[in-house]
Amino acid sequence: MLWVVFWLLMISVSSQENFRNPLTRWWEPVLWEGSSALVATGWLLLAVRIRKRHALYLDRPLVWFGTYLRWLPVIIITWIAGAYSIRHGVYAFVGRAYEHPSWGFVAVYESVKLTIFVGLWLGILFGIDSHGQWQRQQQRLLEMQRALASAQLAHLQGQLRPHFLFNALNTVSALMHTDVARADRLVAALGDLLRISLRSSEGEMTSLAQELRTLELYADIMRERFRDRVALTWQVDPALLDIPIPALLLQPLLENVFKHGVERTVARVRINIGARCEDRNLEIVVSNSGSLLTPGHHDGVGLRNCRDRLRIVYGNAASLIVHEEGDGVAARVSIPLAGTTP
Amino acid sequence: MIRAVIADDEAPAREKLERWVAEQPDMKVVGSAEDGLSAAQCIERLRPEVAFLDVQMPALSGLQVAAQLELSRAPLIVFVTAYDEHAVKAFDLNAIDYLLKPYDSDRFARTVQRVRERLHSHESGAKAIAIGRSRDVSCERLLVPDHERLQLIDSASIEWLEADGNYVHVHTAVRTYLLRRTLQDLLSQLGELRFMRIHRSIAVNLSCIASLTSLFKGDYEVHLRNGRILRLSRRYREALFARMGR
Repeated sequence: MLWVVFWLLMISVSSQENFRNPLTRWWEPVLWEGSSALVATGWLLLAVRIRKRHALYLDRPLVWFGTYLRWLPVIIITWIAGAYSIRHGVYAFVGRAYEHPSWGFVAVYESVKLTIFVGLWLGILFGIDSHGQWQRQQQRLLEMQRALASAQLAHLQGQLRPHFLFNALNTVSALMHTDVARADRLVAALGDLLRISLRSSEGEMTSLAQELRTLELYADIMRERFRDRVALTWQVDPALLDIPIPALLLQPLLENVFKHGVERTVARVRINIGARCEDRNLEIVVSNSGSLLTPGHHDGVGLRNCRDRLRIVYGNAASLIVHEEGDGVAARVSIPLAGTTP
Repeated sequence: MIRAVIADDEAPAREKLERWVAEQPDMKVVGSAEDGLSAAQCIERLRPEVAFLDVQMPALSGLQVAAQLELSRAPLIVFVTAYDEHAVKAFDLNAIDYLLKPYDSDRFARTVQRVRERLHSHESGAKAIAIGRSRDVSCERLLVPDHERLQLIDSASIEWLEADGNYVHVHTAVRTYLLRRTLQDLLSQLGELRFMRIHRSIAVNLSCIASLTSLFKGDYEVHLRNGRILRLSRRYREALFARMGR
């Protein structure tokens, strides 16, 4: 747009100037400026095409201008060759000769003119590009802040779990009247679990053994609440117990088993927790019987949080899959055994 | 004697409530349920004076159970919940009895005292039912008796309803259920969106209407998609035309 307006202006100024000169015809200034515009447009299109590759250097303006200005000699040569051959060609076509100063003068004169011209347009391109990049950066910053905020919120919600806490307390209050020893054990388990979740923070790593112990505490409390509705089996390869994994990664998976598998039905539910080595990966499975995924199901806060943490620690090398298996649902975490960096 | 039904899916919580109710000199536990469906069944069969309903239960929540009860014969309802901000706010607004887990014997005694007072002044579970119906998509499903048991059917599958004394015949494409409810109470649960009265004793599912045929003196017949023909009485005519866009 700007480009078109600029060249129309150039042509009209040039025509005005030569209007009073009876020796020049009306089309001559149009041809001069038109030929210049044509060659220059070619170069502009090239410059616009490669601007993505140069966007890298936008925050270092000298380098950015340098990478474009490298091409200045080529631009000058092709421009003079292009524009002047068009003019000579058209003049020859109408049977006249295109008169201009000596080639030496033309070279110097056009070089200076083109340098100023290219500088001007590069300045404009730089302005447009860096504004665009600034906007994109703002956008990305905003998205990152939003993602961070939602991760923190998820973490908070995950830690508080008021529903779990109040129900556990109610179970203690019920057991107190019938079985003091059991109530006592339940309070101790609840205390241990709270201690662990207060102590652990997002980025922290813990051993598989410690993480499984957390699951055991959680399951013990839930089994008091739901009593004989739950049967739990463990299939853990003891050789893997010292492997480091992100703290509190697995608890949301077991929470889901209770929330979607146990609390939805009064039927007996089998829960299986397994850990084994497969293909140089640590495979952890938390599965339950008797409930299927709801059609069109999507990740809740817990699963999203797990995925985010796996990605932060392992990049794309780790995975979490939730799928139907037999008559139930299984959540599978796969973590690379060699190192924790992606 | 105040007869009570207790529903909670967690055994320790249920047993605690059972024991504490039984300890009251003027109260007796007549039934316990571990999910919402059997809770509704217990209430239907045993007609207790009061029901303690846990809010979070499998199959039907305590609120959903309340939503499905018939207004005029419902017991007093005490909701029991561990944590449900929104429900508790609704309970507070309507000054209805609820117990927050964990509760102690003092708190329980206060609730029981309030139950006695309300029974004395012949209050019913109307407020609880209203909360249940407003909080839940109770209009989407209907609890119907199926032989000795209760089952939930989609209200979209109901074609028309027919009042018959204290009962309502619920007609679906497959079969007809007989409910001990009034048509008005049933319509207030199912909502105006899908069903509409066309006669003092008949209401139809609007999406099941195929066409209307006019008779003499401004009377109309309503033809359902299943071929059945029902009478449209003049009293409900204008309202139906407005809904059918005529």
